[in-house]
Amino acid sequence: MSAILPAFPIRLEKRTDRTPRWVQAATPVGAFLFAFVIVTVILLAGGHNPLQSYNAMLQASVTSTSAISQTLVSATPLLLTGLAAAVAFRMGIWNIGGEGQLYVGAICASGVALAIGAHGIGLALPAMILAAMVGGALWAAIPGLLRAYLNANEILTSLMLNYTAGLLLDWLINDSNSYWRDTSGASAYLVAHGKTIPGSADWPAIGGGNFSVPFGFLVGLVVAALLFVLVRHTWLGYQLRVTADNPGVGRYAGMASKRNFVIVMLLSGAIAAIAGASQVGDFTHILDPTGLQSPQYGYTGIVVAALGRYNPLAVVISALLLGAITNAGINVQSATFPQSLTGVIEGIILFCVLGSEIFSRYRVRVGAEKATVTA
Amino acid sequence: MPSEPDSRVALAAYAVTKRFPGVVANDNVDFEVLSGEVHALLGENGSGKTTLCKMLTGMYQPTAGRIEVDGKPVVLHSPADAHHNGIFMVHQHFSLVERLTVAENVMLGWSLDGSRIRFKRRKAEQEVARLAEQYEMPVDAGKMIGDLSIGERQRVEILKALCRGARVLILDEPTTVLTPQEADRLFASVRGLAKAGNSVIFISHKLHEVLAVSDRVSVLRRGVMTGTVELGDHAAAVDRKELARMMVGREIELGRRQRAARAQEAPAAGLEIKELVVHNDLGILAVDRINLNVAAGEVLGVAGVAGNGQREFAEAIAGVRPRSGGEVCVGGTPVRSGRPLAALAAGMAFVPEDRMGIGLASGIDVAENLVLKSFRTGAFSRGPLIRRGRVVENANALLSGYELRGGPASLVGQLSGGNAQKVLLAREMASQPKVLVIAAPTRGLDVGVTETVRKLIAEAADRGTAVVMISEDLDEVLDLADRVAVMSGGRITGIVDAEGADVEEIGLLMMGQEQAA
Amino acid sequence: MNHGLAIQLIATGIFYGTPMAIAALGELLAERSGVLNLGVEGMMLMGAVVAFWVSRDVSGPNGLVLIIAVLAGAAAAAAISLIHAFMTITLRANQVVSGLALTIFAGATGLSSYVGDLANLGGNPGRHIMNAINVFGLKNVPILGPIIFNQPALVYISWMIAFAIYWYVNKTRQGLHLRAVGENPEAADAMGVSVVRYRYAHVLMGGALAGVGGSFYTLVISSEWTDGITSGAGWIALALVILAFWRPAGVLAGAYLFGVVSALGANLSARGVQLPPEVFSALPYVLTIVVLAIVSSGWGRGRFGAPAALGVPYARDGG
Repeated sequence: MSAILPAFPIRLEKRTDRTPRWVQAATPVGAFLFAFVIVTVILLAGGHNPLQSYNAMLQASVTSTSAISQTLVSATPLLLTGLAAAVAFRMGIWNIGGEGQLYVGAICASGVALAIGAHGIGLALPAMILAAMVGGALWAAIPGLLRAYLNANEILTSLMLNYTAGLLLDWLINDSNSYWRDTSGASAYLVAHGKTIPGSADWPAIGGGNFSVPFGFLVGLVVAALLFVLVRHTWLGYQLRVTADNPGVGRYAGMASKRNFVIVMLLSGAIAAIAGASQVGDFTHILDPTGLQSPQYGYTGIVVAALGRYNPLAVVISALLLGAITNAGINVQSATFPQSLTGVIEGIILFCVLGSEIFSRYRVRVGAEKATVTA
Repeated sequence: MPSEPDSRVALAAYAVTKRFPGVVANDNVDFEVLSGEVHALLGENGSGKTTLCKMLTGMYQPTAGRIEVDGKPVVLHSPADAHHNGIFMVHQHFSLVERLTVAENVMLGWSLDGSRIRFKRRKAEQEVARLAEQYEMPVDAGKMIGDLSIGERQRVEILKALCRGARVLILDEPTTVLTPQEADRLFASVRGLAKAGNSVIFISHKLHEVLAVSDRVSVLRRGVMTGTVELGDHAAAVDRKELARMMVGREIELGRRQRAARAQEAPAAGLEIKELVVHNDLGILAVDRINLNVAAGEVLGVAGVAGNGQREFAEAIAGVRPRSGGEVCVGGTPVRSGRPLAALAAGMAFVPEDRMGIGLASGIDVAENLVLKSFRTGAFSRGPLIRRGRVVENANALLSGYELRGGPASLVGQLSGGNAQKVLLAREMASQPKVLVIAAPTRGLDVGVTETVRKLIAEAADRGTAVVMISEDLDEVLDLADRVAVMSGGRITGIVDAEGADVEEIGLLMMGQEQAA
Repeated sequence: MNHGLAIQLIATGIFYGTPMAIAALGELLAERSGVLNLGVEGMMLMGAVVAFWVSRDVSGPNGLVLIIAVLAGAAAAAAISLIHAFMTITLRANQVVSGLALTIFAGATGLSSYVGDLANLGGNPGRHIMNAINVFGLKNVPILGPIIFNQPALVYISWMIAFAIYWYVNKTRQGLHLRAVGENPEAADAMGVSVVRYRYAHVLMGGALAGVGGSFYTLVISSEWTDGITSGAGWIALALVILAFWRPAGVLAGAYLFGVVSALGANLSARGVQLPPEVFSALPYVLTIVVLAIVSSGWGRGRFGAPAALGVPYARDGG
């Protein structure tokens, strides 16, 4: 028995039979509707015309090919960090180190791009992605191994590593004469900045005219598909699914749960790192500490993953959704959709979806508790 | 030496009945505990002793009958009501916070002198120390629970009750988690408690404990109070067989398994267990040097009250739990310890009592569960990918004849107990195992499924599998087994042939009395 | 480096470390009840913006307005934290996700900025600022003067809060119950302690203190509002709780260390010292990882380490 609020006559009772199909389908829809209502109320309270705001948002993000392209720009890092978080969280592994793994990915990718980028995109692109994945995987291995073998809480350790990676980033560009830093030119020490990667290492955008898809987004789609196949259609994914929900069963079946734990962390770190590589290759073409750290893609990715219920295909949708909202916040320059609405809307949607999940595990009962029967 | 109780009835239940849907847990039970008495409550699992005590501590309400404290009828709606009346129960599972000290745990939710805010640490520690000394239950009040042994933690649980004014203490199978030395110390404490005028209800199924510590013994069997025996000064002379009869005596029902006629030559070696030693999760010795041989085609039933090491025994044989000592051989070949895959390769099948927690993965479907042990063979793979078609075919093949509602795509987590057990059995039997270890085979299952399961076990034996069947249900064991080994306190106290077995003798073995050589 | 500089560094360290210390003390309370709240940054920003708003629009004597502003900031942040409490305690949602959602919701591109836009707070100077107090007139005493006797009132309040929390957790019955709830909620529940009530109360207190910490930025450090003015202080506060192993004195020490180190870092590099400031800054985080690793598996697990139930939703039915 549990009360919704202390001493309130509504209770939540754990479901013992399977969740009815209609509940499973209705809850996210209901959640979105509920969120929609709340957002409209907040807009009204802020003196905005909700219709204008929604219209502005749609215009900026989906109603034209250039708008969609802009949305994809915002959605790309979220897709990758979202997938990274989804694969870990689905397995009950609370990897919040996506932020730091992204930074490490950016560092590795830009380093490789600076070194061999002049040899052409055919070499630079895969090399950047690979280097990023290795770096991200190694960075994620630390909390992974510490948890698997020393039982150290992975939330805390991965959080600490985020700060450390951020400081590493700062140091490379702001406080050292590293390979990444541009020390030539008069402005080099006035405003620290990194070396621009060779133009031939810039990642191509696919598409024509007003419509272009960042390469990183395509990579994200491929990763989503691969993850889906991995989890549902490979025996490794099978083992991960079993040990995630039932560690006792995993032991009984001889599955190596510690090793599997680390594998998932490595995978998660590698994917988050691709987001960093994409930031460098697709968009900034330079290692930019501020630009990488302020949007907090890693943390937002966790929210994206949660919205998509940790299912790789659904994560694509939620990344697009959040990308659209973020993009509207950035690109609508008028008062009808101030950038501050981005976080408000995203937060409300997430809270509603998160809160609605309880209905699939519990049902609502009004009144006093009946005595339970156990012999 | 037992204490001298006076004749005041501290706590009593009169004509108490407790009904649940489909089962009568307690049937018109009369039970009296005197002040200053240690009164043991003896019975198997399912005898109703736990239900009776839960009613005495307010967790359940009786369907009929009344409960009296100090001669006055009371209604106990909750444990808090029971505590008001000085009735406390010490459970097998402690409610202690490891990172807090003894004194802090004792004071949790309660105040020494009514102070509402200040927690006076030193005063609390002194009070706890005083109580500990008074009742001869030494414990360091300033130590963290995490640093204490299990026996010491149990003392803290008792002190918690005493601090809050307990006059009747109910100890639920307290020695399950204790070493023999700690158990002796507990008995001394219990006698001390009684001497001080408190009443102790000591729930147990171990004869030597009951005889060592109690003044009277009441025996429950299938919800009915079969009798109360005074121990007094002549504990040594008490008729143990009589007690055993009260605890397990029953007509042996017809319907014993008809075994296929066995060939005359000696049956092939199946499972050999030599000097097996296993520790449980808390590091306590659970299996104490067991030697056992089970022939191919034989069903060895392991009887005994739950909690005597059966779980660890089963898990160690099946390779799920590492052995601390001894050897397990299948068909003459030793099996490596603690390696489920090695056991699997040796031809071992295991149907655990914890079906959903160990045997079946609740988040995946039936077909995927059916390949839990065979997915590595390559028969279901195309490279790293799953050949789902083959997996489903396999599931259909295995399930034919089992009548599973829902089919191979149902999520296992939503299956009924009976269907889950069917899936487990289908999987484990599929590999024509050399050894089958099956625990609690029909627990919680309805009549139809129970029949099916028993039939499958018999068939497995007929096909030559060596079957180790661990069950608390003595009837079931006697029906299906060829021989019955009785497990008590981590040891095999005796082995008897199932045919013509003396139930009272088995009862004695279950209570810890070793078989005469 | 001469004494004067060192003293100034320490004084500055205490000054800049205080908002993080206050927020961290709040988070400490929440985490000791078993609830992880990653939304500290968002709550601090809400406190900052609301405090600033009140200080700009409420008229009165400086001291009174500042008090009301700080309290308003605390209330706003607590209201925000109520969302997290409801999500994680009642609806049993994942604490990590809910906390992050809170940061996004209330943070730099969220509600705090929205409020700032609505009330047109950006870019306009405030009307009240909390200056340093000259305590007992001792501000010019050598060494201790500038460090201890010449800080703004909130610094002294933070010391009082730290002490109060220490006393509360270790010397009161409620503090004992709090510790039980955070370590073993089943046991606490069995002993009659309401896990739900304690968790709600402590998450809200955590929110309130985060709001107070946030208000430091708009009432003390400067008297203006910009989006995201706390620039990551909330994240540092989270780290501080862990670094301090959930002890109030450690939080203060850690916060001041941070303050000193960041000031030091800027100072050193300007003087051409080779050791990069980031190494200093990173050291506490790396050290924490090492200690967490040692403590989680070995002997220290008994005494140090996170509250055992941290991050785990509690349900009496085991769900």
